[in-house]
Amino acid sequence: MVHKAEMEKAFENDINEHRLLIHKVCSIYAFTRADRKDLFQEIVIQVWKAYPNFRGAAKISTWMYRVAINTAITALRRQKTFITSYEPAALPVNMIDGNVNDAEEEQRQQLQQAIGRLNEIEKAIVMLYMEDKTYPEMEDIIGISTGALRVKMSRIRAKLRELTKTFDNGNR
Amino acid sequence: MEIDELKDAWKNTVGGHGQQRENIMEMIQHDSSGPVAALKKAFRKQYRFIIIVALIVLNNLTHGFSEINFLFFFSYLIFCGLLSFFFYQNYRMIGRIEKMDGLIKTTVEQQITWLESRLKTHLAAVRIALLFFIALAEVLPYFQHGRMLDKWHALSPYLRVLVYVSVMALQYFISRGLSNRRFGRHLRHLKELVVQLQ
Repeated sequence: MVHKAEMEKAFENDINEHRLLIHKVCSIYAFTRADRKDLFQEIVIQVWKAYPNFRGAAKISTWMYRVAINTAITALRRQKTFITSYEPAALPVNMIDGNVNDAEEEQRQQLQQAIGRLNEIEKAIVMLYMEDKTYPEMEDIIGISTGALRVKMSRIRAKLRELTKTFDNGNR
Repeated sequence: MEIDELKDAWKNTVGGHGQQRENIMEMIQHDSSGPVAALKKAFRKQYRFIIIVALIVLNNLTHGFSEINFLFFFSYLIFCGLLSFFFYQNYRMIGRIEKMDGLIKTTVEQQITWLESRLKTHLAAVRIALLFFIALAEVLPYFQHGRMLDKWHALSPYLRVLVYVSVMALQYFISRGLSNRRFGRHLRHLKELVVQLQ
């Protein structure tokens, strides 16, 4: 009983410490507030289920990225408003609410739009890259070799460059 | 625009979502809502069948059974035992699939392997069960329910074989359709992920 209480406390602390990490995964894979909330909850449930097996072999953040990304890409397929395309028709109604006032906001939206067009694995790679994870760290999360990750990252760069160019042209 | 230029924007993007503090301990009281959890729920329901079977067996034992239906009773018992074992294996597989803390690539590949092997076993098990019932229908009237000999067994053996073959073929399509409905979408999605991981 005491052990369970201790584990719950440790779990709550770890989640609170890595809350932002989970939110980042949610923001990459879910776009409406409701979906992000659902995904956040699902990730927390999966982390809790896996928590007793965490032996500390990997860093807790690495381990949590694995659970969070695995959950986002494999465990939550019931979603109706998760979007894979930023074509206006595919956007959930409550997402087209941005009053793009300043350059920073516009850049942020472009970033989201471009990432939204990547496939699920590319999204994970981009997210880890933007989190300043090294290639060996990414390999430890995704399970793709460093060499293959570098190749993928260079393709993603080209893809994002192309996409943001399209958006820029569209805005003119 | 280069991705490196977007790093700062990315860091600011997510900051806003994390302001509100969620009640973590309340969240873990909820059931998972993913497809694996749905499968687990479906497999758990199969255990209700085992309870019904156990009640029927208990009823048979308390009311005694004559030597004449000895064969029928034990065939039935073996069949139910095998079915219970099969259900248990389903439930165990879901326990393995549920693990989400492995490497992304390994987790996806393992899920596919387990689901596909389960599907194959399921199709084979249903086929064997059907063959078992066909054999029972052919043999049983010689020991019990002798009146079947005047009806079903009075038909031409060719016609009976034709019916059995049709039932097997129907079972093949129905089983595939049902499995596809239960696992298909998830399996297809996992296979797409494997392609993305190449």
